[in-house]
Amino acid sequence: MSSLPPPPARLDPAFVDDATVIADSVSVWFGQKVAISELSCSFGPGVTGLLGPNGAGKTTLMRGITGLLSVNQGSVAVNGLDPRRDRRVYDGLALVPEDEAVPLGLTPRQLCAYVADLHRIAEPHVVERALDTVELLAVADRSMDGFSKGMRQRSKVAAALVKDPAVLVLDEPLNGADPIQRLHLIDLFQRLGDEGRTIIVSSHVLHEVESMADRVIVMVRGRLAAAGSHRAIRNAMDDVPRQVLVKTEADGRRLGAALLKIDAVRGVTVQDEHIVISTMRARDLSVALPRAARDLGIRLTEVRPLDDSLESLFRELVR
Amino acid sequence: MTAVRTGSARRHPILAIAAYTLRTCIPGRRRIGILIPCVVAVLFGLLVRGLDDTASRDFAHNAVESLFGLVMPVTCLVIGDAVLGAEVRRGSFTFTWMSPVPTWQIVVGRFVGGSVVAAASLVLAFGLSALVAGTPESVGPVAVAAVFGAMAYIAIFMAVGCIAQRAAVWSLAFVFLVERLLGSALSGVAQLSPSWEARAAFVGLADAPRVLERGGIPHGGAALVRLVVITLVALLVAQRRLPRMRMAGSAD
Repeated sequence: MSSLPPPPARLDPAFVDDATVIADSVSVWFGQKVAISELSCSFGPGVTGLLGPNGAGKTTLMRGITGLLSVNQGSVAVNGLDPRRDRRVYDGLALVPEDEAVPLGLTPRQLCAYVADLHRIAEPHVVERALDTVELLAVADRSMDGFSKGMRQRSKVAAALVKDPAVLVLDEPLNGADPIQRLHLIDLFQRLGDEGRTIIVSSHVLHEVESMADRVIVMVRGRLAAAGSHRAIRNAMDDVPRQVLVKTEADGRRLGAALLKIDAVRGVTVQDEHIVISTMRARDLSVALPRAARDLGIRLTEVRPLDDSLESLFRELVR
Repeated sequence: MTAVRTGSARRHPILAIAAYTLRTCIPGRRRIGILIPCVVAVLFGLLVRGLDDTASRDFAHNAVESLFGLVMPVTCLVIGDAVLGAEVRRGSFTFTWMSPVPTWQIVVGRFVGGSVVAAASLVLAFGLSALVAGTPESVGPVAVAAVFGAMAYIAIFMAVGCIAQRAAVWSLAFVFLVERLLGSALSGVAQLSPSWEARAAFVGLADAPRVLERGGIPHGGAALVRLVVITLVALLVAQRRLPRMRMAGSAD
């Protein structure tokens, strides 16, 4: 561990006060390829989304956190323990890997029982409960070899739940799941987060992360690009233009012309009652827009950001 | 339908890992990979029966050259890679690794599972080979040497799996370059070779002509002891190396 403690969360959104997982100046490389570079962040209770394009280093970070690979520089601590040195860490740490691979020839029940055996879990019915949670009881005695990707993912989630982990790391856990199962799993992860567990979820399906994660960490090319709630990150990005859609009951041209006189507005596109405003200062616009509409006697029927989703945030950050 | 086990019936992790290894590490294609050399072993026995010379001497020749020199290493390579290296490459080793079970228990559990498969396959194949060759008195020695040789091979291939990412390739290099090529020329290398040691153990136990044995390595029971030492050292290497492995998984 580094001698310097991580900065308090109130100063740096990459850190949380009640951290259970801390990555401190972590660098990982594979030969000439640098997968993670000087990354520092922490994770605490609740759901944290880990976002980034392919090759951003998300999976490598998750494998570093879970001790599956050693970091070349820096350190990782989970509940105060180094996952590469202290195997006690696995008492409360589980991973749902992205790999489709599940142990060959095993049924979900056998996989869960195996995990329970390794953890010497004495609680009865723990296997049944885990399988029931991911709705796999009906196929619990079928070999996973013939399972779809989504069913394999759920089997791995069940195996992770068997050990009742305080820290659960999920690498693309919704891959292959059907829409109903996705909603069910999102609900499950949120519930686990609400129970005070640290849930770290990576996904390419950004709107799902948006709906389940309280906090987002964005990685780009092995570096930390942003951290915080997706809205907070968006607000912090003052130099990134945002677009706001405004709908009016009347012709939008009069309002559009008035808006162009406001400093916060960079440009306006008008099409009938629809106005798309480009701004660098959304907060100032939120004050100026209703004032301009009131002065002109124009009623606004809808005002909404066009690009306030994680998808657009992600696009901006990796640009 | 699998019975639902409750907490009171939980197995010891070593037993759980050994049972898991038996169940999962030998999938369909690998079973064929084991079956082929075992069938070849029996065919070698049939060939011996067709020769004019005395059956026991011919079987000894066959055992030394074919069974211990080819069938045993190939069979153990298929099983030894499956026990650890293949699971790490596939990414499913995380289910075993991410548990508070000490690494030595993981190594022992995997070794026990792999050794049971290898020993059972080879004892059956070699025993049948001796029977069809018409030398039932060779069944015991060939089985004992096969069991000890198989254990040493599985331990070595597990250690290779803990050291190298491409474990199957390195294991193959060990068998054909280190054992067969270097081992033929250098007795120092042959002394560490399960193949050469198992041959020497068989020759000693079967009271076969000493000319079949490679010079400069232990004989009979001493070769068995050497195989045990090789097994223990390889397991120790595996236990030491396992925590340092980079388990990148199939996605990387």
